[in-house]
Amino acid sequence: MALVLRTTSQIIGHHAELEEKSAEGYGALAERHPEHRDAFNRLADENHRHMARVERAYRLGVTDAFEVGFTPNQLDPGDYALEEFTGESLSEDLDTALRNEETVIRFCLDAAKTSGKLLPDLPDTFDQLVRRKRKRVELLRSLT
Amino acid sequence: MSYRSVNELKVGCVMVVLEEPIKGVIELKNYIDGEWVESEASETRDVVNPATLKTIAKVPVGHREDVKAAVDAAKDAFPRWRRTTPLSRARYLMTLKQLLEENFEELGRVVTMEHGKIIDEARGEVRRGIENVEMATGIPSLMMGYNAEDISRGIDEVLIKQPLGVFACVAPFNFPFMVSLWFMPYAVATGNTYVIKPSPWTPLSTMKLVELIDEAGFPPGVINLVNGEVEPVSEILENPGVKGVSFVGSTKIGRDVIYRNATSHGKRVQAQCSAKNFLVVTPDADVELTVSSLMSSFFGNTGQRCLAGANLVFVGDDQGFMEKTLAVIKERAGAIKIGYGLEEGVQMGPLQAEHRKKRVLGYIESGLEEGATLTMDGREFSCDPYPETCFLGPSIFEGVSLDMTIAREEIFGPVMSVLTAEDLNEAIGMVNSSSYGNAASIFTTNGGTARRFQYDVECGNIGVNIGTAAPMAFFPFSGMKDSFFGDLHGQGKDAVDFFTENKVVIQRWP
Repeated sequence: MALVLRTTSQIIGHHAELEEKSAEGYGALAERHPEHRDAFNRLADENHRHMARVERAYRLGVTDAFEVGFTPNQLDPGDYALEEFTGESLSEDLDTALRNEETVIRFCLDAAKTSGKLLPDLPDTFDQLVRRKRKRVELLRSLT
Repeated sequence: MSYRSVNELKVGCVMVVLEEPIKGVIELKNYIDGEWVESEASETRDVVNPATLKTIAKVPVGHREDVKAAVDAAKDAFPRWRRTTPLSRARYLMTLKQLLEENFEELGRVVTMEHGKIIDEARGEVRRGIENVEMATGIPSLMMGYNAEDISRGIDEVLIKQPLGVFACVAPFNFPFMVSLWFMPYAVATGNTYVIKPSPWTPLSTMKLVELIDEAGFPPGVINLVNGEVEPVSEILENPGVKGVSFVGSTKIGRDVIYRNATSHGKRVQAQCSAKNFLVVTPDADVELTVSSLMSSFFGNTGQRCLAGANLVFVGDDQGFMEKTLAVIKERAGAIKIGYGLEEGVQMGPLQAEHRKKRVLGYIESGLEEGATLTMDGREFSCDPYPETCFLGPSIFEGVSLDMTIAREEIFGPVMSVLTAEDLNEAIGMVNSSSYGNAASIFTTNGGTARRFQYDVECGNIGVNIGTAAPMAFFPFSGMKDSFFGDLHGQGKDAVDFFTENKVVIQRWP
């Protein structure tokens, strides 16, 4: 059976993994490109804040009265894999970072759609994150 | 404990098994007068994780003397506690609320370990428990009485709400953390003192709760915990120091033991009991929303809740709609992942104990014997790599009629019985023919149909396009007929009224 995200807990957990991996990536970029260290470190910090934001929305809204254990649309985590930073230049690394941001945005959009019938506060939180992540995309583009 | 510990947060690993917060075997004690003390009973029973079958605690079977000591401590604490201002009492609860938030994740995992429900459901249970603590912190307003000036010239009349003394609850196995919080926060907020008797099957999350109560600094004797089985319950019902009892469990025990004995000893009682909940679907219903709700209602908590869906009634002669909806239900039910609730992708955990599974199996046999068609057989399932002892898959019976045992009695397991009604009138009649009146839901996009349903159905908790009509803390958990015995329900303003006496003062000053 293919691995899919069936429960709210899994969706939140996978989001946390994406944010954590993204933060690790930006941490590495901060070392490799010291001229943009502050920007990359700020992005990594934001990843952790985004993770905490979703977890808080989940914790404050979770109830067994809704369908927390039965997602209507099961998500495939393989659709949201983040790329490693293997570029040899800042430009290549930024391209990877932009693709990764778009992947996380896509996950947040899909998670918002799926969690709409699970927990009332989660879709709004994921939608807010999408808006914030689009600003990150703008920031990354400005570094090129 | 954070939502996921660092070790559990492994990038790319989808099937995460969360760390168990209970290591080894805990020897449970009672909490009386602010101290953890041994039970007078030497005999213990094992508390077993139903998914892994590992013993995680030993709980004393309990003794009348344990309850006597707890009630004495609560009686001693009462005069000072009732004089503690409502605002101060609320602040103790605010501290408790903060501690519950800090320990949220651990509490959820303990519930999963002792009960078997999946971690999402366990966290949901903890959240709903905390909501009652939050609600009770509003007691300075909630406890206000009322007055009328000049009922006669120069004479005023005032109503004051006062605490009564010692209250107790006898809690069930199926919501081990939440249910005592339907009652206790309101009892102590209003100035009463309290004795909690958790289920001997699932006593660990209550123990954790009381550890946090101790940490919150409640004065000794205000909240006490007594573990055990029959003897402690008998003492609670008969002890003259106990002013009232809250109970959640079966109708047989709630009506025949708790309500009758407690009222015959002059106590207040609120006994929330069994259920047989009907979920009615009309042909205009939103199939996707309906099926998602049905999954959670029938199979969530492995069917072990008094708000669980039991009978699914299709209204009208639209055979195509019914077949289409049932096909989606079966597809979704057949794909439910069964296993240990601490594994994040698991959607349905085990029954809480082996004898509960045997009981459900008995009902499946009964359905077959009485002529229903088992179109999904929950006896065929996989819970690999966990032992099958307490596990069961979702079952669906079609061709069920109201005279069948499976349509009338509470099964308390993941079994859906499908019935049909010619029209809404017949469907409402079916709901109202049940001796129980806990919950009922309708799935429709027609407002008139929904209004008619909520108006005519004789149940305490009604869902409209909601499969599990669970009232929030600021509403009473209602219930009617054989689902409730007493006058005032748990939660909300009902709880405030249950734990207070109305005193009327008529005053004239010369």
